[in-house]
Amino acid sequence: MSRGRNRNRKFKNQNRRQNQDGQKGQPGQSQAKAAEPVKVPDPELIIDHEPEEFWAGEVDEKQLLLLMGDWRKGRTTRNIWQALGDAYVMLFSLAVILAMLISLIVQAQGQASTCSATGCRTARELLPWAALAGVLAFAVAAARIFGPVLASAAEGFWLLDSPINRSRVLVKRLWTAVAVAFVGGAAIGALISALTGSGGAAIIAWTLATGLASSGVVAFAAAQQGVERVWTVKLVGGIAGLAGLAALLAVVGSATGWFQLEITTSVAISSAWTVAIAGILLLVISGILARMRLNRIRRARLMSGGSLASGMQGAAFALDFALMRDILQERDAVERGQVRPTRGRGLGLQTLVWRDVQRLLRFPKPLLTLAVTAVVPYAVEALGMGRFSSTISALVLVAALVPFFTTLRVLSRTKGLMRCLPFTTSQVRTAASVVPGVLAGIWAIAVVPAFHGVGSGSHTPWVQAVMLAFVTAAAGYIGAIRWVSAKSADYSAPMVATQMGAMPPGLMFNLVRGLDMVALITIWIVLGLSPWISVVLAVIAFAVLRMGGINQEEMQQMQKDAQAQLKAEREGGARKPAERKVVTRKK
Amino acid sequence: MASRSPVLVVKDLNKSYGDHTVIQSLSFTVHAGEAVALTGRNGAGKSTVLRCVVGADRPTSGTVEVLGKPVSETSAEFRRSVATVIDDMDFFPDLSVVEHLDLLARAHGLTDADALVDEVLEEVQLVPQSGQLPGTLSTGQRRRLGLATAFVRPRKLLVLDEPEARLDVEGIAWLGKRLGEEMTHGLAILMASHEPSLLEALGARTVALGGSRG
Repeated sequence: MSRGRNRNRKFKNQNRRQNQDGQKGQPGQSQAKAAEPVKVPDPELIIDHEPEEFWAGEVDEKQLLLLMGDWRKGRTTRNIWQALGDAYVMLFSLAVILAMLISLIVQAQGQASTCSATGCRTARELLPWAALAGVLAFAVAAARIFGPVLASAAEGFWLLDSPINRSRVLVKRLWTAVAVAFVGGAAIGALISALTGSGGAAIIAWTLATGLASSGVVAFAAAQQGVERVWTVKLVGGIAGLAGLAALLAVVGSATGWFQLEITTSVAISSAWTVAIAGILLLVISGILARMRLNRIRRARLMSGGSLASGMQGAAFALDFALMRDILQERDAVERGQVRPTRGRGLGLQTLVWRDVQRLLRFPKPLLTLAVTAVVPYAVEALGMGRFSSTISALVLVAALVPFFTTLRVLSRTKGLMRCLPFTTSQVRTAASVVPGVLAGIWAIAVVPAFHGVGSGSHTPWVQAVMLAFVTAAAGYIGAIRWVSAKSADYSAPMVATQMGAMPPGLMFNLVRGLDMVALITIWIVLGLSPWISVVLAVIAFAVLRMGGINQEEMQQMQKDAQAQLKAEREGGARKPAERKVVTRKK
Repeated sequence: MASRSPVLVVKDLNKSYGDHTVIQSLSFTVHAGEAVALTGRNGAGKSTVLRCVVGADRPTSGTVEVLGKPVSETSAEFRRSVATVIDDMDFFPDLSVVEHLDLLARAHGLTDADALVDEVLEEVQLVPQSGQLPGTLSTGQRRRLGLATAFVRPRKLLVLDEPEARLDVEGIAWLGKRLGEEMTHGLAILMASHEPSLLEALGARTVALGGSRG
């Protein structure tokens, strides 16, 4: 440090000396010359350090990380127990919701386990396979998008650029990603196998199989990240997705009697253990490779995942899942870079609809997802859980329809682009909902046989099946509209005092947006009441959402505008000379 | 000769954020074929006035009338007449530059959308980027795309927030010329600007906001 200070002083002295030299030279010059700008020579930088001094010390990465941890802890104002204590209301609420969820699972499991039809048995054995494939596809996609090994922008700039052994800094990140994949995968494996009415041994086997396979593929993605190979990861994701689709189709085919598929419980359990062992092998081999290659991951690649994660974290704190999707979509668009432009069709509102059709042709992948979700009601019916079919299918449909609402989403999130279009808000919303509405209608037609009870013992009349299918599609469609167009929490409005501190009103509603519409429309079917109630509620919900939802601020504004208009008209009227009407009485 | 009917009338506009008053009793009128520039130091409230004029923000008190009617951002008639390029511009992540312009031109019912879009793309020098998605554009290119959106649609009032930002000297000269031509056809312009050459080119009347710097 003292050496550096000396260096600085020397540099300054050099400058001062040069300036003094320049000033000394001036008196001897003529007045005319003095008027000319004095050319000050560039200061000479004298570097008197040796390059070796930068390599004088060795960094102990572990100590460095501990030091960073100490600094972070030093800035905290509350410990974890105090934070949990403050959030006890939320924790209590979560505990209640969790208890309700478990009760629902137990009930559903009881209902499913009593079903002894071939379809039920096959579905029971096949659905965990579909869940496994789905989890693997998701884990691979998430790992590819985020890294899975990542670093924040600050770490990338300050830490990773310094002469340290990066692998020692990043190793904890690698194992964290693998552990998260294990826990997430295991939880979904357990949930699905429990929901399908499997026994204890099967639940344990599928829990471990899904968790280990999931962590294995994440370790595989990390190993590929070290050699910057993306196609292998994409291939694994694609295979997993296709496997999931095949499993779901097998469920439907078996349930509807297209083909007979008999899988015994013992075969299912042993195959689950096989998957678990394969998962362990993949985890160990890929984990070792990933650990060895950690030092080779480029800084830019690490930081790219980190910046995405921090954006997602910000959106997650605001419980704004739509914003999280926006971030992912934006990133996808940046990766794609450019497209082959296509000219639009139609004029006025039609052009918005045509543009959505052109989007479908350009990005057909969501269509495949939508087609796959048509299998869900068949699978749920095959499990003997027909009562919940509408709700479960509509929830899945919400997720499948969201990608078709890009126009509505962008026009809802900020007013800038909406202001450029010469239509009212409800006109734009209607136009932006046409293509997804048509797709939801086609989906409804495709699932009518499921609601009729094809493949299951009991049959619902066709008319009622058609009604149930369309109510379900409407619930998913309206839920998706609500999900993409609901306003985010308003942080500029007066806050609400809670045990966790000040919170913007409506923040917690973000959690259930979209799902609230599904519940509102389908709860009557679950309760065994007439589907006509659902129809009426769906119509009302759509009408409200078409106008832009119940936005108190906008309604107040509309009221003010109307009052201003009325006042202007009155004033205008007052300025006109009153017309005198003379009524003459007939004599 | 363009008519001199008032397009925008701002009367006794006040805007406060809590106790902090940003705009106090501001009144001005913009006629057809006229450019009015809001000037003032940073934070003087130029953008706030523009946001109130386009309906993005509500004034605390006072009135803003466009073509004789109170501003209503949700009204189709207002959206048809007023083109805005202010800081809340958003783009579709999956539509290219040219597709954005094409969509807007068609939405406004322009039958010769293709030719107009090509011409505007050329003017804002975004032809090489026509197939790019907005996420890949630089800040300057996004700014030019924002300007282009105002030129591919019919308009009676153009509201611009610092249109010279991120434009080079040639770009500013082009903008001055382009806006000047439009003014001769009766376009009214309200803008916030720090660029003397642009104000001079348009012969803009200035409305100074806040105290002078220093």
